[in-house]
This record gives sequence, C-alpha cells and structure tokens, in this order.
Amino acid sequence: MRHGGEGRSRLLLIVLIVSALFLITLDLRGVGVLEGARQGTQTILSPFQRAGSVVITPFKNFFSDVTHLGRTRNQIEKLRTDNAKLRATLLNRKNADAQLLQLKSILNLAGTAGYKVVNARVISQGSSQSFSQTITIDAGTSAGIKKNMTVVAENGIAGVVKEVYSQTSLIMLATDPAFKIGVRIAGTQQIGILSGRGSRSASLQLLDNQTTVKVGDVLLSRGSVANRPFVPGVPVGYVTAVDNSAGAIAQSATVHLYTNFATLGVVAIVVAASTVNPGDALIPQKPQPTPIPTVTIYVTPSPSPTK
Amino acid sequence: MITRQLSISAPIFILIYGVQEVIVNQFRLPGGGFSIFFIFALVWAILSTPDVAAFSGFASGFLMDLSPTSSGPIGQWTLIMVASSYVISFLGSGNENVKGNPVGVTLFISSAVFLTETLFVISGVLLGVQTGSFGQVLLTICGFSLWTLVITPICLPVFSLLHNIALDTRSKI
Repeated sequence: MRHGGEGRSRLLLIVLIVSALFLITLDLRGVGVLEGARQGTQTILSPFQRAGSVVITPFKNFFSDVTHLGRTRNQIEKLRTDNAKLRATLLNRKNADAQLLQLKSILNLAGTAGYKVVNARVISQGSSQSFSQTITIDAGTSAGIKKNMTVVAENGIAGVVKEVYSQTSLIMLATDPAFKIGVRIAGTQQIGILSGRGSRSASLQLLDNQTTVKVGDVLLSRGSVANRPFVPGVPVGYVTAVDNSAGAIAQSATVHLYTNFATLGVVAIVVAASTVNPGDALIPQKPQPTPIPTVTIYVTPSPSPTK
Repeated sequence: MITRQLSISAPIFILIYGVQEVIVNQFRLPGGGFSIFFIFALVWAILSTPDVAAFSGFASGFLMDLSPTSSGPIGQWTLIMVASSYVISFLGSGNENVKGNPVGVTLFISSAVFLTETLFVISGVLLGVQTGSFGQVLLTICGFSLWTLVITPICLPVFSLLHNIALDTRSKI
C-alpha cells in the first residue's frame, strides 16, 4: 500500500514537472496565450495597485528614508529647526511636493529637448525576487504609450517601456541587468554600450579600442532608429572609474546613473521626439560653488617717528 | 473532500498573492525586501504532505510566473516551486524538530528561500535570463533570506491557521 502511494506521489511530481517544462517551452516559443495571461493579471491588478498606492503613500518611503538618514541629516535638522510647527503638514505633503519637483524637472528636461511626453505616477515597484528591476506606472495604451519608448526622470534616463497594458505600463529600469543602451560621451562623441548592474552603478563598454574615456565624462543616449527604444541626447550618467585592464579589447568603465531610482515618484514617457537632435543641451549643470567674498586689506606702514 | 480543500485553498492563495502584488510590492525595502507570497507558499509546503506540497508548489509557482514583474519565462517559477515545495515537504515530513517548533520552521523556510532563489538564478542562466552581477545577486539572495527570517515568525501563526482551515489538519505550530 505504502509502495503504491509512493509510486503515485512520484508520478504526480513527474506530471507537474513535465507540465512546467511544457509551459517554459510554450513561452520561449512565443505562444500568445501565455503572454496574454500575464497581461490579464496586470489588467486585474492595476486598479488595486492604484488604490494600494494611494493608501500606502505616507509609509512607502519610510525604509528608503531610514537608509539615507546619514546623508540627509543636515537637511532634516534644518527643516526641524525652521519648520517645527509645519512638520505635521509637511509630512503629509512631502510625497506630493517631491513628485511635483520631479515633474517640474522632467518637464524642463523634455521642454529643452522638444520631446512630447506623457507624465505618469509610479504605482508599484517590481518585486526583486526575480532579480529584475521594474516599476509599474499609471498610464498605458490609452495615454498613447507603446512598447519600447524611452522613460525619463528628473535628471535623465529612467528606463524603457517593457510591457504596455490599457491603463498601466511596466517599465524596465536602467538598473535592470537586462537593460542595455547605446551611449555617446558628451564632447568627444565616442560611443559605447551601457549595461545595468542591479544598482545605480552601471558598466560602460566602449566599442572602439582607439578611444579613451576618463573619470567625469558625461554620457548621453545615442538614440535608436525611429527614436525607439531610445531618443537621442538624454543624460544617462557620468564616469566614476575607468578599467584599464591590459588584456581588454576596448576600455570599460563604471558609470554613476543620474537618476535616483530609490525615490522615483513621477516619470515621463517620450511619445514623440524632436526632429532636431538636442546634442549636449540636456547635460545637467554641475553645482556651482558659492562664491566666497575676498577682502583685500592694504596696510600702509606709518612713518617711523623721527628722533 | 479534495473539492472542498481546493475551493478553500485557491482563494487563500489568490488573496496572499494579491497582498504581495498590491501592498508589499509598494514598499522600497533595503536588501531586495521580501515576498510574503513566497514565504506563504513554502510554509504551506512544509505543513503539507509531499503530494499536496507539489501541487500547491505548482499553483504558487504559476501565480508567481503570472506576475508582470517576473523576468523569466512562464513556467520557470512553476518548475522551481514544484521541486522546492516537494523537497521541503519530503525533508520535513515526520521530522518533528523541523515541523514541531516555530524556530525550526523559520530556519528551514529561510534556508529554503536561499536555496530556491539560488536555483532560480541557475535555471535563469541556463534559460538565458539576465540576473545581474554575482555580487548583486548574492546581496539580493542574502537580503531575501534575512527578511524571511524576520517576517516568517510574524506570519507563521496566521499561515498555520489558514492551512488548518483549508486542509483540515492539526499542525501544532
């Protein structure tokens, strides 16, 4: 009896494993039904995600803020001193204000380049259990968004539209390991390929072994055919380290991405790009140091007393 | 009997899946955060017989595959979860050191999360899914396991109760 039970158990296991392998095969062969199932799931989930986003908004940045506490301590202290009475109000409006600021920067960026953009709010972060870096936004095909459109944030590139549904879209962030973008170095116009690495630091591989890159070089998107997936001229990041390995065919470098992915609240999808390449016009300005006034004192020695 | 068990289990799985996708995914947690549905599926497996565990693993894996944020092909999580749930249940069945106390279950689930995620990465590499640098993957897996260690004891009584209601068993956790 026990032997029969074990046999049945093994048979069930084999059937289930074969079914899973069958699903993988179907999906890799591009059977539409399975992709439709994922789209259906997102369509069902999106209204709940929107509602969840509204309810959870006051708490959702808590952990992120805690991890950045050291960096923002001075700012927090200043706010605490200056706005003690307004703190409660500020806490509730903090998220809205941050989104407004992001939106303003995005519109500035898009306006300078002449992009036609659709703004959208981030309604969900993708779970990293599958090692992917994605977000879900509250705009989809009904807002004119299509697959493989460039997504920009306040300071530069945020990612690319991976999937589009009627009311929502799934964005692959520039930090995703599968993310790749053709870039050029501002000024020298050298080209290379930038790949996501799961964090704000990305890797750059130059294409030409005759060219060189140096720390501080700014990278801009190179643009794609018909501006999809990438429009040209979007700031991507700047070089923080250069790998000069002797055996490498071409130089590679580590790049710090301009966009802060931990605080993404609002993004813009470029639905139409300008016919004119913006060139280097979108490079973020470096912070200007506050001039320190210098005071020159001339000392004229008094005539020595004559005896 | 099976119809009754299925009719109670299915809404529970869908509910926890909804909680994961709608609420938990909204939080930006350090170290990759956690997946309450993943923990739930593994707890369910450890409390069940290998047959039921394999079946529930198939269902939970399929739901994880349906998640729009899942990077691999549909069926990858299904395959991993079937194998993982069956092995967890098989190793845990009859071992009261594991099943009998919450600490044992928590440690077992955390280890299972670590191994299952590792298995997912390896199978992903074989299937051509890009998962990032070794350091980043290791950080995510370790972060996930540590979060699981924290979250599992909090959720365990509820999951155990749900399991008892659905499958009419008497798990003593």
